[in-house]
Amino acid sequence: MTMTMSRLFPAHSSARLSCLVILLSGFLASQYSAGADAAPQVQLDAKKTAPRAIESLTERSIIRDYRVAWISMARALELNAVDPLNGPFTGEAKTSLWQSVISQQRSGLSRRYVDQTHKLDAVFYAPEGDVIELHDTAEYQLQFLDKGKVVQEEHVVAHYVVLMTPSSDRWLVRYLQAVPQF
Amino acid sequence: MRRSHIRRPVMHGSALLGSALLLAAAGWAQNITVPTSAVAGESATISTTGSGKATFYLFGQGVSNKHDITLGEDIKLRGDALRNAGDYHVVVCADTCRSATFYVSAGKPSSVTFLVHPSRVPVSQQDAVTGVAFPFDQFHNLVLTPVSINFQLSAGNASLLNRSANTQAGVAWFRTTSGKSAGALQVVATLDDFNTRRVVQQVASDPCNLRITGQRNAAGILVQTEPVHDCSGNPVPDGTIVSFTATAASGKSTVDAPIKKGIARAQMEASGSAVISGASGVVMGNEVRVGGKQ
Repeated sequence: MTMTMSRLFPAHSSARLSCLVILLSGFLASQYSAGADAAPQVQLDAKKTAPRAIESLTERSIIRDYRVAWISMARALELNAVDPLNGPFTGEAKTSLWQSVISQQRSGLSRRYVDQTHKLDAVFYAPEGDVIELHDTAEYQLQFLDKGKVVQEEHVVAHYVVLMTPSSDRWLVRYLQAVPQF
Repeated sequence: MRRSHIRRPVMHGSALLGSALLLAAAGWAQNITVPTSAVAGESATISTTGSGKATFYLFGQGVSNKHDITLGEDIKLRGDALRNAGDYHVVVCADTCRSATFYVSAGKPSSVTFLVHPSRVPVSQQDAVTGVAFPFDQFHNLVLTPVSINFQLSAGNASLLNRSANTQAGVAWFRTTSGKSAGALQVVATLDDFNTRRVVQQVASDPCNLRITGQRNAAGILVQTEPVHDCSGNPVPDGTIVSFTATAASGKSTVDAPIKKGIARAQMEASGSAVISGASGVVMGNEVRVGGKQ
C-alpha cells in the first residue's frame, strides 16, 4: 500500500498528506451520502399469513415493490414532486400522497425520511391473491423542512397498515395508513 | 390529551433552577398538547403553553401547513384538515422547536369495498366462490375497529349462504361452494345500512352421463349425443366440445363437434363396422358399435 501511494504521489510528503486528506474526505462524504440515501431495509414475515400462503416469488416481489414505494414516497415528499408517486401507488394511497405533495408545494414545506427500516408482517392474503394486507413497523429519522431548512428532526417508530394489490408486473400500494399500534 | 415530550439533561439543585430561569427567559417554555383521540373529518384542538409568538407547522396525511400563533392560545384544526386517518406531526417553533404527534382514526363505516371471485363459476364446485370485504368511512379511510359484515348469497329464490363475519384488521372474508343451478348468483355484503352487491354467473359443470348414439347413413356414420347435462341437470352450454372417436379395422379417426342446442352431432367416414365413443373434457361417454355397409 505504501509503495503504491509513493508511486502515485512521488512528490514531497506534505503534498502526499494533502492528497490523502482529500481522498479521505471524499471517501467519508461518499459514505455519509450513501447512508442518507440508502435504500430502505425491508423484511417480510409471511408465516402467519391467512387464508392463502405466500409463494416465495410473491414474497420477493412484495419486498421489492414496497421498498420502491418508500423510496418514491420519500423522494416525492422531499422534492415536492408528484411524479415519483405514479409508479408504485394507486387508489387512496396515491390520492393522499398527491394531496400531501401539493399541500407542501403551497406552504413551502417538505419532509425527509432518512435511514428507513421496515419490518412487515403479512396478516391477510386474499384467497384469490388479489389483495394483501401488511403491518409495517417502520423506523426512520424524519426531518421537517421549511423552505429547505430543517426545523425539526425526530427518530420515529411508526406502525402502518398497508394494502397492496397486484398489477400486470408489480405490486402497488393501494392504502397506507399510520396507526398508533397494531 | 397527549403531551409533547420534553428532553432535558439531568441536573440537580441550583443548576436546575438556573437552567429553568434561563429557559423561561429564552421563551423555551412552549409545551404542546395534542388530542389523544381524533376522528377523521372532525375538528380538533391543540393547546400550547408559554407566551409570545411562534410558528405552527402541521404535517399530516394529505395536509401540510404553517402559520403564526401566539403561545398559550389554543389552535383549532378544522375537520377538513383532518380527513385522512393516520399520523399528524405538530411542530411549534419559537426560539427552539418542539413537536408532538397525534393520530386520526377512521370515522363510522359508510361503504364496503367488496371483491368477489370468480365472475363465472361452474355449479357445485367446492370452495369456488370467495369474497373479501373492507369497510371504509366517508373519507375512504379503512375502518380498523372490528365491525360485523353480513354475507348473503342467493340464486333465484334460494338462499345459499347467510353468514356474518367480524372484520379483523379491517377485513372480513368468506369462501363457499357454488350453487347447484346455472344462472346469476347474487352476492351481497351488508354493513349496517350499507350494502354492496356483486353477481357471479353460475354455469353448468362438466357433462354427466354423456350418452351417444350412432347410425349408418349414405355418407358413413352419423353420431350424436343425447341432450348433454351436468350432474345437477343443468344443460351444458352450447359450444362445449364433444370428441367422437371411431375405431375400425382400418384405423382410428376423431371428430370434434360443438354442442348446439344441447346436442353435439358429427358425420364420420367409416365403411366397415366401427366402435364409436364420445368424450367431453375429462368425461367419457358410452361406446356404440355400428355395423358395416350392407
